[in-house]
Amino acid sequence: MALDTTLKKLSVRSPWLFRINAGSCNGCDVELATTACIPRYDVERLGCRYCGSPRHADVVLITGPLTTRVKDRVLKVWDEIPEPKVTVAVGICPISCGVFRGGYSIEGPIDRYIPVDVNVPGCPPRPQAILEGVAKALEIWKKKLGIEG
Amino acid sequence: MSDTLLAILHMCIFPGGAFALIVGFLFKGLDRRVEARLQRRVGPPLIQPWLDAAKLLTKETLIPKTAVRSAFLLAPVFGFTGMAVCAAFIPIPGVFDGLFNMGDLLVIFYLLPIPAMALMLGGSASSSPFGAMGFSREMLLMLAYETPLLMILLAVAMLVGKAMNGGAWGAEFSLLHIVAWQQEYGSLGLNPAMIPALIAYLIFLPGTMGAAPFDIAEAETEILEGPLLEYGGPLLALFQVTSALKTFVVLGLGVALFFPGTICDLWPVNLVWFVFKCLVLMLISLTIVKSATGRYRIEQAFRFYVTVPTGLALCSLILVWVM
Repeated sequence: MALDTTLKKLSVRSPWLFRINAGSCNGCDVELATTACIPRYDVERLGCRYCGSPRHADVVLITGPLTTRVKDRVLKVWDEIPEPKVTVAVGICPISCGVFRGGYSIEGPIDRYIPVDVNVPGCPPRPQAILEGVAKALEIWKKKLGIEG
Repeated sequence: MSDTLLAILHMCIFPGGAFALIVGFLFKGLDRRVEARLQRRVGPPLIQPWLDAAKLLTKETLIPKTAVRSAFLLAPVFGFTGMAVCAAFIPIPGVFDGLFNMGDLLVIFYLLPIPAMALMLGGSASSSPFGAMGFSREMLLMLAYETPLLMILLAVAMLVGKAMNGGAWGAEFSLLHIVAWQQEYGSLGLNPAMIPALIAYLIFLPGTMGAAPFDIAEAETEILEGPLLEYGGPLLALFQVTSALKTFVVLGLGVALFFPGTICDLWPVNLVWFVFKCLVLMLISLTIVKSATGRYRIEQAFRFYVTVPTGLALCSLILVWVM
């Protein structure tokens, strides 16, 4: 029991990020990539790492307004991510569909289909906002694991 | 009976198993840290590999419906066992002579590709198309980098064998004798005939460790980490442990082949000296190269390995032959 708690406490220091593009214009994706890569906003210091496979992910970053074409695929990929996972909606599109709201090809907002834990608004959000979103996701992850924050 | 027990202890605690794992994870952490510093980032804490492994232990394991269950579950165990055994055969100069003094170059040559084979097995058993792609890339890369490795080992064996036979034809495959000979007559890394082989070994390291620019089989941006795609949770942690053990094995082999000198008779000092030499080897051949390069395509990497390192190793072989 004690070992279990220790492992869980250690595990929140190693969040692996996975990006899902749900029909985004790429603006938020560029912000995500530079957030990880450039020296000023290095997320690796939090132990984060971008992983290529949904099977390895802990924190899911979703961008884009969920277009009709990608809807099924996004839901499928999201289902492939093992529990416990935390979902972060990055940018205004997944939150409210932004300027695309009411479009014929738009199925969003994303929380109709997926339980979103953290919203990071912005078009695109600033890197600091994304970092804060990831930090908040870690708090929620702790709650999901059942350990004190 | 006690021999068996001793062998198991050597494979589980020192120098295989626990010790190799601690050194391997320390190196992995340092590798990420130094890479971040070279790119002017802060980088993760040194214990990050341990944190990653702890995290993976708490995650659930998903097995694809179409996967070959037994092969999928056994592949990481297969790779881990191979590396834990192989680590016990690596001599640490002045500390440990290798299991039963059997540290034989050919045994190590056969044990070294086991993690790559485990990766191939797991990738093809996962029934994912990306896994199959990773499988073919890994196999092609393995064919390419095993050739220079075999020639490097042959060059070392022939040089020491000829010297021990008094100039006559001969080959010495016992790693223990190779280390002992070098401690008496000087390191092979400083021998002009062996410098091409040393460079070839430095080029071989990123290929066998799957580090950039040769991380083609596990390319996360192209084929979603290939063979590792379907693995998650404790099984993925086992793959990471295998990779850490392999880091120790290939770096330790490099030190034993080229720079096995000791500085004094105290074994703790020799142990630290050995780890330090491994670290320098890693920084030169893996970290600095990794942080400065992109990724080769598989046919470019194949062509590179069958020309440059193979040519260098062949140079050494010919130099040893004529001298």
